Amino acid sequence: MSADDGVIGTNDDASSCKRFAVDKGYWHDPFISLLIPKATSRKAPEISRGYYARVKGIQILIEHFLRMTNCNCQIVNLGAGFDTMFWRLHEEGLTPKCYVEVDFEQVTARKCHYIKSKKTLLEALSGEDSEIMMSKTEIHSGSYHLVSSNLRNVGSLESKLTACDVDRGLPTLFLSECVLVYIETEHTDKLVKWVADSFPTAFFINYEQVNMGDSFGEVMIENLKTRDCLLSGVAACASLDTQMNRFLTRGWTGGDAMDMKTLYRCLPQADLQRIERLEMLDERELLDQLLSHYCLVWAYKDTRDIGLHTISIS
Amino acid sequence: MSDMSDLDRQIEQLQRCEVIKESEVKALCAKAREILVEEGNVQAVDAPVTVCGDIHGQFYDLKELFKVGGKVPETNYLFMGDFVDRGFYSVETFLLLLALKVRYPDRITLIRGNHESRQITQVYGFYDECLRKYGSITVWRYCTEIFDYLSLSAIVDGKIFCVHGGLSPSITSLDQIRQIDRKQEVPHDGPMCDLLWSDPEDMQGWGVSPRGAGFLFGSDVVNTFCQENEVDLICRAHQLVMEGYKWHFGEMVLTVWSAPNYCYRCGNVAAILELDENLKRDFTIFEAAPQESRGIPSKKPQPDYFL
Repeated sequence: MSADDGVIGTNDDASSCKRFAVDKGYWHDPFISLLIPKATSRKAPEISRGYYARVKGIQILIEHFLRMTNCNCQIVNLGAGFDTMFWRLHEEGLTPKCYVEVDFEQVTARKCHYIKSKKTLLEALSGEDSEIMMSKTEIHSGSYHLVSSNLRNVGSLESKLTACDVDRGLPTLFLSECVLVYIETEHTDKLVKWVADSFPTAFFINYEQVNMGDSFGEVMIENLKTRDCLLSGVAACASLDTQMNRFLTRGWTGGDAMDMKTLYRCLPQADLQRIERLEMLDERELLDQLLSHYCLVWAYKDTRDIGLHTISIS
Repeated sequence: MSDMSDLDRQIEQLQRCEVIKESEVKALCAKAREILVEEGNVQAVDAPVTVCGDIHGQFYDLKELFKVGGKVPETNYLFMGDFVDRGFYSVETFLLLLALKVRYPDRITLIRGNHESRQITQVYGFYDECLRKYGSITVWRYCTEIFDYLSLSAIVDGKIFCVHGGLSPSITSLDQIRQIDRKQEVPHDGPMCDLLWSDPEDMQGWGVSPRGAGFLFGSDVVNTFCQENEVDLICRAHQLVMEGYKWHFGEMVLTVWSAPNYCYRCGNVAAILELDENLKRDFTIFEAAPQESRGIPSKKPQPDYFL
């Protein structure tokens, strides 16, 4: 498993950047401080703005999905890390019937520990008459589940989801943020196909690198290699087309892909203006370059025609 | 004489990317101040000279620059600001350039960039780096006090106007720049701010800068300024250009960028502009220092991505 240690470490880095941005006021998240310690070093404004765009973009799509299904749906976050989405949705009264977080055992063990020790986090899990079952690495409650699985093994994922009482008949949203890029495409191709084959009404949101064929991409691959983090799935990150096609050729009906530079401009303007005033950005090009190397891709399979094709950023 | 040998020792030490003592920084800044206070806001520089753009604390890449451009004092240098922030070695980078300035005042000219500021260095790394390397902010104080004495611009042989950012709607002549009282923190607006923050843009007249300070200036503005001041070229830095240098408005404005693989992330090459005694231009492109040539810091710092 040691080959995955570098990838596991990316959770700490991403978490720390999100905590820093939340502390600066980029977005509201009263739960992040319960899971993630204060950042030890300052993050550059373009990093905070980039995380803002990612968090907002995903939030817009997910809330659209929840409202469309009246929360009679499921969400599966693949490689969830220390994400706080479940608690933020719960606070807004937008809890889906079933919310499953999947990650490596080393990550879920730590998350379990934090959830157990924080009353605020635990309270959101306890429904009216539901029991909370906890082990060292997994949690099962009324609507929230935290399970460990290696995403390279679809069989293992399938049995874990079954243990969470995931109902294949319900509309189900899968989310992966900077996860697929670390996994060989032969495995992610199987994963993406398995979801489409198993869930007749499904929505997939994937956030990760794109346009990786230039010098910025080469430098990123090298830099991450030095922290034992191999971008084994980077072949799918060549362009928006390669990102989209991995879904369209594996059972998904339609979808869209946006690079984050384009998506950033589509975010609600008033809030964008607010966050751009939080910290001065010395060099716009640094933000643009970063954003144009990340994308948000979403795909749907809508057998019952509930309108998944209408979900979009704007 | 012992002063000079002390200084030479400090330069050697800094060239190995080792910081000098706080007391030595204090003395160095005091000497630098005596030199810089005598310089004009539009410092006259004689060709031949090698003009350099942003460095941003990329110490090992600055050493690459000296490798391709020649050493001080053999080569005469003009650095157009942004010595600090974002890179991991702002302290060593700025102190080395400052020590060279004190040692060879006529062979190296340093002008101020928008990052040579108390406010900006607190966001982009120099403040934190001083605190980390010295355990207090005293060295940051000494350095930021010296920033206030750096000249705002330079003019090479009366013909090439060099400035970190660009032009200002409040300035039509070099004499107006000469009248600025520069010995202060970079203001949020006004002529001094604009010189350090503005960017050229394909447009006419003036535009609002997305940076939140300075202006965008168009080709007509440049034409007028160059004619009135009998200037052939405006040479500036301030903007990352992937190819190291970039012409704007034909050959009226030139951007020179000297931080290769900026932020250890951007994948760009860097450039320096060599002007011979007839102001003939020659660009030298260089890349980031290879990993082997960089010392191995105890804890390797990492460039930021979204992970």
